[in-house]
Amino acid sequence: MDLEVNGILVAAHELKAPLVLMRQLALCLDPNDPKEVEKYQKKIVSVSERTLKQVSDLAKIARLEEGLFETEPVAVRNVCDEVERELENLFLSNSKKLERAYSNRSRLVVANHDLLFSIIYNFCSNAVKYSSSESTSRLIIKDKNQSVRVLVRDYGPSLPANVYREFTSGSLRAPVDISFRPDSSGLGLFIASKFADFMHARLGAIRHRDGTSFFVDLPVSRQARLF
Amino acid sequence: MTTSLKNSKERIFIIDDDELFAECIKNSVKKVSKNLKVDIFKNAIDAMNALEAPLPSLIFLDVLLPGPDGFTFLNEISSYPDTSKIPIILVTSLRLVEFNLKLYGIRAILNKEEMKPEEVKLYVERYTNACNCSQAH
Repeated sequence: MDLEVNGILVAAHELKAPLVLMRQLALCLDPNDPKEVEKYQKKIVSVSERTLKQVSDLAKIARLEEGLFETEPVAVRNVCDEVERELENLFLSNSKKLERAYSNRSRLVVANHDLLFSIIYNFCSNAVKYSSSESTSRLIIKDKNQSVRVLVRDYGPSLPANVYREFTSGSLRAPVDISFRPDSSGLGLFIASKFADFMHARLGAIRHRDGTSFFVDLPVSRQARLF
Repeated sequence: MTTSLKNSKERIFIIDDDELFAECIKNSVKKVSKNLKVDIFKNAIDAMNALEAPLPSLIFLDVLLPGPDGFTFLNEISSYPDTSKIPIILVTSLRLVEFNLKLYGIRAILNKEEMKPEEVKLYVERYTNACNCSQAH
């Protein structure tokens, strides 16, 4: 099976999972229990919003090739703050937390705001999904030589060695089956790697015995020196 | 609503790494009886470690799990005399043939794409001593 067809199958599988979940959540709505209706409505909205985000990201991949995205100096802390605000309720509703730890002195990176947002959103969204209950994931920004590293550390099952090698060697050419994280096809990572390539950024992962860190290294904007 | 349960310690396991989906199943179980104790596990290892007396009356098991999958779990519990008797309902999006799974204690397969809360309730009523007596009165 060629990569393109396999990619479509994987995307279809990945998008089917939230639809199945939304259907089940909708079936749980009990009109006689308004509190329960409100609870499940919130969950349906949350799942549908994340799915919409993923569909939009898939569409952006095609638009990358059309050159519709530009890179420019982007305030990296602002983007991380936006992601944190967007996902705050999702972390809370899953009894988890996201803690910010910024130590970067370089504030501007060369990136596209929307694509960078999607990459960090994807990392954080992964952290919600795969970290252990009651755990606190960390969103870290730090300087690294001529780049700025945005890293999301989660505490849960670690990335398996084979996926780690494929991911870090840059051979992630299509979504892959990640059997240890079965409801993930790696589609999110594949999308993130495409966005990173476009911005000349570097995507990576660090295996920990108690979780995984995903990071993106972004080139520092020369305009940063003006500030 | 009056709810009774012959054995108040009766437990049900839900093994599914999708917490929201597991919560949907739990919601249906609780509709049968609020007194049933429902334990949710995100992986097979935690569920195996929790398999001690009193054993669960029923297990809802997803197949694709982080680490050892549902079939590994089935192989494991079917190898012990006590746990091999626990009725299992597979809850999965995979297209599986029920006939081939009887040996593992599989009583039914619920397809995630088609299942309804009523089916969950039906199996809870069938395989536990729980009953919602409000309808009987």
